[in-house]
Amino acid sequence: MSFAGPSFPNIAATSRSLSAGDFPGTTFKAQDGVEVRVQYGNQRANMELSLSFDNITDANAALIYDHYHSCRGTLGVFDVAANSLTHSGNPGFHAGIASGTTNRFSATPFGMKYRYAEPPQFNSVKPGRMSATIKLIGVLDK
Amino acid sequence: MTYYSGKDGTLTYNGTQVAKVSNWSISATVDTLETTVLTESDRSYVPGLRTISGSATVFYYGSAPVSLLERVVKTAVVSESDILGIKLGWGTKLIQGNCIITSAELSCAVGEVMQASIQFQFTGAPTGVTL
Repeated sequence: MSFAGPSFPNIAATSRSLSAGDFPGTTFKAQDGVEVRVQYGNQRANMELSLSFDNITDANAALIYDHYHSCRGTLGVFDVAANSLTHSGNPGFHAGIASGTTNRFSATPFGMKYRYAEPPQFNSVKPGRMSATIKLIGVLDK
Repeated sequence: MTYYSGKDGTLTYNGTQVAKVSNWSISATVDTLETTVLTESDRSYVPGLRTISGSATVFYYGSAPVSLLERVVKTAVVSESDILGIKLGWGTKLIQGNCIITSAELSCAVGEVMQASIQFQFTGAPTGVTL
């Protein structure tokens, strides 16, 4: 089990993109074109969640920066705060997810945890305002 | 209370009033930084950076516009020493600040009085405003 960092701060994102990841497996392709796929596991992994936070306050940018540090960079896994995910804007996308605190943008319902895929990027916009972009990757953590 | 008109207007450059000014104008704009987040239906903004710029037209009478023109139209390179203090006044009202002349245009045509048109851009906040 990996080091677990604190939950991601409750900051609503400006934009978000999700890549659903895939089940582990290998594809073999014969010369005649026949394709055989072997599945190695029954849990999906490598879900990617990219979030951008435009023109947020310095204080909120500092929360993201400090969270990255608290998670020991890209090593620690963590949950995305429930409220950040509640600000989904796509309620129809989450039908059938049992837990009231997670949705399909969260890795938790699928047995995953998020970790930073790369260091967050910060841009200074003007005094008091910054923009940040983060990229998270869902990993199986047992 | 009173109305103001062109006869009340003045253009002062580094403390010296420029003669034969035909008109001046000034415009202040503020950028908007979008802070709309997911789930919101209406865009929201916070103020961003402010830009103040203006223009003036001066009749070429004697050397009236020269002090402004020579900030740009000269053999030497334009440098920070060409930043000048400018004051636009009307009656007892004024807007003043440091600015860079970004455009200087001279026009000479048959049947018209020769005149110079300049455009300027404030650098930094206005140093004085009385509206």
